[in-house]
Parts: sequence; C-alpha cells; structure tokens
Amino acid sequence: MLLQISEPGASPDKAACKQRVVGIDLGTTNSLVAWVGEGSPAVITPSGGAALVPSVVSYDGTDVIVGDAALARGEAHPMDTVASVKRLMGRALADVGAAVSMSPNQILDDAGRMVKLRFSDGRERSPVQVSAAILAELRMRAEAALGGPLDGAVITVPAYFDDAQRQATRDAGRLAGLEVLRLLSEPTAAALAYGLDRGTRGTYAVYDLGGGTFDISILTLVDGVFEVRSTGGDSALGGDDLDRAIVTAIAGELPALDELERKRALGSATAAARAAKERLTEVESTMVRIGATERALTRAELTAIAAPLLERTGKACRRALRDAGYEPAQLDGVVLVGGSTRSPVVRAFVAELFGREPLCELDPDQVVALGAAVQADVLAGGQTDIVLLDVVPLSLGLETMGGVVEKLIVRNSTIPCGATQTFTTYADQQTGFDLHVVQGERETVEACRSLARFQLRGVPPMVAGAARIEISFKVDADGILHVDAVEQVSGITAAVDVKPSYGLTDEEVERMLIESFDHAEDDLIARNLRTEQVEAERILAATRAAVIADPHLLDDDVRAATEAAIVTLEAARSGTDYLAIRGAIEALDRASKPFAERRMNLAIARAMQGKDLDAVEQELSK
Amino acid sequence: MQSHAGPDPFAVLGLEPRFDLDSTQLEARFHERSREVHPDRFVGAPAGQRAAALVQTRALNDAYQVLKKPQRRAEHLLARHGVAIDERERLEPGFLMEILELREELADARVANQLERVKALGADMRRRQQMMVDGLAPRFGQLGRADDAAVLAAIKHDLITLRYLSRYVEECDAAIDASD
Repeated sequence: MLLQISEPGASPDKAACKQRVVGIDLGTTNSLVAWVGEGSPAVITPSGGAALVPSVVSYDGTDVIVGDAALARGEAHPMDTVASVKRLMGRALADVGAAVSMSPNQILDDAGRMVKLRFSDGRERSPVQVSAAILAELRMRAEAALGGPLDGAVITVPAYFDDAQRQATRDAGRLAGLEVLRLLSEPTAAALAYGLDRGTRGTYAVYDLGGGTFDISILTLVDGVFEVRSTGGDSALGGDDLDRAIVTAIAGELPALDELERKRALGSATAAARAAKERLTEVESTMVRIGATERALTRAELTAIAAPLLERTGKACRRALRDAGYEPAQLDGVVLVGGSTRSPVVRAFVAELFGREPLCELDPDQVVALGAAVQADVLAGGQTDIVLLDVVPLSLGLETMGGVVEKLIVRNSTIPCGATQTFTTYADQQTGFDLHVVQGERETVEACRSLARFQLRGVPPMVAGAARIEISFKVDADGILHVDAVEQVSGITAAVDVKPSYGLTDEEVERMLIESFDHAEDDLIARNLRTEQVEAERILAATRAAVIADPHLLDDDVRAATEAAIVTLEAARSGTDYLAIRGAIEALDRASKPFAERRMNLAIARAMQGKDLDAVEQELSK
Repeated sequence: MQSHAGPDPFAVLGLEPRFDLDSTQLEARFHERSREVHPDRFVGAPAGQRAAALVQTRALNDAYQVLKKPQRRAEHLLARHGVAIDERERLEPGFLMEILELREELADARVANQLERVKALGADMRRRQQMMVDGLAPRFGQLGRADDAAVLAAIKHDLITLRYLSRYVEECDAAIDASD
C-alpha cells in the first residue's frame, strides 16, 4: 500500500516536506551562506553576529577556529592562521610564488602536486582541509538556523576556475560533510540573483572582481533560461592585488627584517592599504600610514595605481566579448559583483569599458550567495522554470606526439558536453599507452595546464596501427572532466589509472575524513548512516511521485517488485545499518528500472517529437 | 576533429532537416529541450535517470552546436546526402595563391605589431565569409529540382573554400588575443 506523497514542488504543504538546502559563496576574503526560506533568498545570519564570515582559519593544535575569531588570532599566531586559502586550491608551488612570499604561512611543495601548509606544531594540511573548515562552519550555522541537518548545498566557484580548482572545491565540500548539489559559477549566480531573466530577451555582462579572482561572463537571459555565451577571467587577480600595489606605491619595499617580521609588517601594511582604499569610496582623499610612511592618498592616485590591474580585467573582457560575438554597445546591461566593485575607481573603469553605467543595486558582497541559494532551491524542488546553461571556461585536450596539444573540447562549449578521439598504437604488440590531459588555449603542452596523466593498460597486442583506442572526454554539469577509454577492435575497456596532477586521490580524501573526527570510526559510521538515510528518503519520494504521476506505465509485475522494494527500503531506513540501506536503495533502483526507463523514454519522446501522448504511448507499448 | 556518429541533430532539436533555419526558433527549441533533459532537473532522481540526463543533454548541446553555425549545418546536411568534405580536394590555384598572400600579409602585420592591420584583415575576411555563407541558402534551395549531384558538388566546393576562410579568421582572432 503506497502512501500518498505529491510531486516535489507541487505539494500545497510545501514547508513540511521542503528540503534544507543552501547556497554557499566560498570567497577569497569572505564567505557566506544563504537560503530560500518562505519566498525570497536571504543570507543566514547568526543572532548577534554578522552575515559575512571571514575566510580565515586558525589552528591551535587540533582545534580549528574559523572567521572573526581566527582573524583576531592571526595577530599573535600568523603562521597558524590561513587567509585567502582559495588562492591555493588546486595550485602547485610553481603557480603561487607571489602568495608564498607574502603569506606568513609555510606553504610547501608536495612533489609538484597541490601545495601543502605546515603549521607550528609540525602538522601538515591541504588547502582542501582548510577550505573544508570554512564550509563546515557555514554548514553548522545553517543547520542551527534551519533547525536540522542540511540536505544539500550549492557552492559557487569562479567561472574561470579550472578542473583542478573545481575538484578541490568539491572535495572540500565532501570533507565538510556537505552534499554538493552543484558547483555554480559566480557570475551566473549573480545573474540569477538579479533576476535579469524576467522581461524581454537580453544579453548581459557580469563583471565580478573579488578579493582574489576576476571573472567576466556574457549571458543571454530569457524566460528563466540563463545561457552563458562566453566566460573569461583571471583566477589570480583580485582586490588583494590592488592592496599590495598600494603598499608598494606608498612605502616601496618594506625593510628586510627577518622573514616572519617582514611578513607581519606586510600583513598590517596590506590591511592599512585596504582600509584606505575603502575609505576612498566615500571621500576624495584620505590619510594612510604604511611602514614608516604617513601621507595622503587621493582617488586620482588610486586610479593610477589600479590602472594596470584593471587593464588586465579589460583584456579578459574584450576577449570574452569577442568569443561571444558581441560589441559592448550590443549588450543590455553590465552587472557588478564583488566587494572590490564598490570602489568608484573600478566603477568608472567598467562604465568606460562597456560604454554604460553598470547595475549594482544588490549588495555586491551578498549577490553570489543569494543566487546560489536560488539554484539550490531549484535543484531541490526539481523546477523546470529556471535552467542554467553554463560553459567550460578553458579548452581541454590531449598531448600528442611532439608535445603538441590536440583540443577535444573548445572553451565556451555549453556543459555538459563530450568529445571523442581515436588513437592507435605506434609499435607492434604495444599493450600500454601514456595519456596526458591538459587544459588551456595554447598549442604546446608546456604552455597549458596539466590535469591528469593516464596509463592505459591491457590493450591486446596487435600489429602497429591496428588498435582503435577511443578516448572520450565527458564534462559534467559542474564543469569537471571525466575520461574513459575503450579499445574498439577487441571490445576491451582497458584499465585506466588516473593520477590527477594537482588533486587529491580518493584515498587521501577518505584519510582526511577520518582524521577530522575525534572518534573516527563512530563518527564515520554515523555520517554514512545519515548520508544513506538522506539518499533513501530522496529515492522514496521520487519513486512514489513517479508512481502517482504515471501509473499506466507500470506493469503489474514491476509494480509488485517496486512496492516490495519500497517496503524493504523503508524498514532499512529506520534502522541503523547503513550498508543495509544502501543495498535496499540499489534493490529499489533495479526493481523500478523498467518503469524508470519507460518514463524517461516518454519524456524524451514527448519533448523531441512533439507528438501527442496517445501516439507516443502506443509506440512505446509495441 | 570529432567523429559525428551520434544522434541526428535535427531530430534531437525536433526540426525539419533543412538549411534555412530560423535562428530564433532554433534557440527557443534548444531552451525548451534543455528544460526537459538538463541534469539540474534530476539532482534528486535515481542514478539511472541522472546518467541518462547527462547523456541526453550532451547530445542536445552537441546537436545545437552543429545546427547553430551555417557552415557546420551545411556540412551536416551534405553528409546526410552522402557527401563528405575532403579537404585534400584541389581548389583553384588562383584561390590558393590568394590565401597564401593574405597569410603572408597577416604574418607581416603580426611581426610589425600592427594590430589595426590585423583587425582589418580579419574584418575583410569575415565579410567575405559572410557573403559565401549567404550564398549557401539559394544553393540548398536548388536541391530536388534537377541535377542534385552538381548542386551538391558546388556546395561542397563552397564549404571547402569556407574552411580556408574561417581558419584565416581564427588566425586573425588568435593574433588579436595574443597581442592584446
């Protein structure tokens, strides 16, 4: 006997069965979490606290402190306090040279992979763990405000984040105990928050200058569809760089005391520069003290200091416009995102670049989180009125003979997308292949970013040139690449070992998960149980809704098997054995598979052919 | 260099296979289909449906790419008629000489860092490309009347020529990207 549960999103008693999902802006300087409560998106603020959580983490042995308290602790414990960790995500030491020389943290090479941080007690941590600490703090805030565990979160990333940076973000979410529903591009999130899709069809530019990253996206919006036409940017350019430029302009090189003293001095100098910069939003001139120098800084001087940095953003904007095939005059508007865009200097630059005054009514610090919350709500409710069509920001390719890159997927391709390339063997009896996946626009491998190396093994020995190894690239909706390989002559799926160039392996993430718990084993089991229970509830609701919607597509034997599997799953879900729940979920999947396939075929057929329902059903039942 | 042995792009978008497509209608169809199959719609669904959504959406996005640009659309339509583009086919020596000279002009302009000249070369070639593309619709219109083989051969010739032209435009764009 099936219980009556309505289609998700259509129930009149929506609040009762509504999922607890949130949007998270994991920013370089500040982070925040938002949700869609009873209608419009709102930032979650703890009572008596601030909405913005500084993206700062301080470690005291195994104690983890996040936010304002960490910022405060940073004065006394600079080496153990990490700020702007976003700049280190998915990056090797070679990529972050500048950050290293200025940061009070010990940032170390890890055999060419993503950097690691060493703390004063000798412990080492990955930037992924540090980011996870921030995400966990936001999760706990949200759970306290929403009155229970979260069912999922949308986490934003710069549109220009590459594959390694995205993987690192997704891993951080996992470590923080979050079900990451989607990685959402920050400019797209902002466009969602502005609701530019209402009204007539329009094409907008989103200029997003954060603390550490710059993104430019060109989107076409109409009736709930947000189609990204092109995206560009610089994932190592932001307001922080302007602060440092101000320091250099005013005080030149700071006196070379010992390393730690120098970094400490730089830290306070940068803070003073940032404060002065922010004051210049309101006034034309302000006093600033950096190092031994104390003098006035004017808006005009700030404009001059900022010019080279802003010009870099201009270059990215021009390229994005070219890629999208638009002249600035053809746009319907420009949206500003990111705290740095509060500055009149930046606004003047953007206005000139695009030939119009930019839109900035929404708080540029909050707009991304609000947009993420909107999408979390959409994903949880299964609505169809909003569709986000995002793109891959950088081309993806394979290294071929001579260190040349063969591009399989070009930048600005709408995701999810895929492409295949067929290779053959050079030598007789060759049974293995080395494949190198790279990302970037340049022709040579050295100039591109290494994503992963594959070793394809088990290719049956054949004459040279006879094998047909089909490599397929698949980018998912988060913009992350998956690679498969099949040898077509023999039909064998050859074994593929992926060594991510910068990312964490699954084993490493598991180990970190265990390390993060005081009572590792118990907590891990509890977490697994909760995860399986959440998944079980989701599958049960979806299956019941499907049965209510399309009962005519259920054969008697499939119905009986499905109902039996539902009963088993309900029983398992109320228990404490997470493996039993997982088994019951898989059993329900199998039992209802014929039904699910018919529903899917029907939905596709309906969509593709535009025929009426009866005709399609007749065809399907043949 | 993709093998396009996938589903029929016209069928995926639910359109009649023809060259002259209304781009507004094409975009509207693409948006409609995206609503139906996009993975965002299936986040809470069982694994099988999620996987199917990914496959369907990739096919949809690929189909849209084929139909959106006139050149790719034309190449696809030609393939439907059993005519493949073979770039090794000879074009007129006069045309090839012209392209060679234009390439040299572009190379000279790049070396001398004459960005405006590069832009002008690119703009000229774009105009030329557009004119050729505009000529494709009437050609496709002639199919089914008398000598299809001849019409298809003429279209094929135009498309091979267009490949040279669009590669040139890409080189100009790349030069602008690099020097900006």
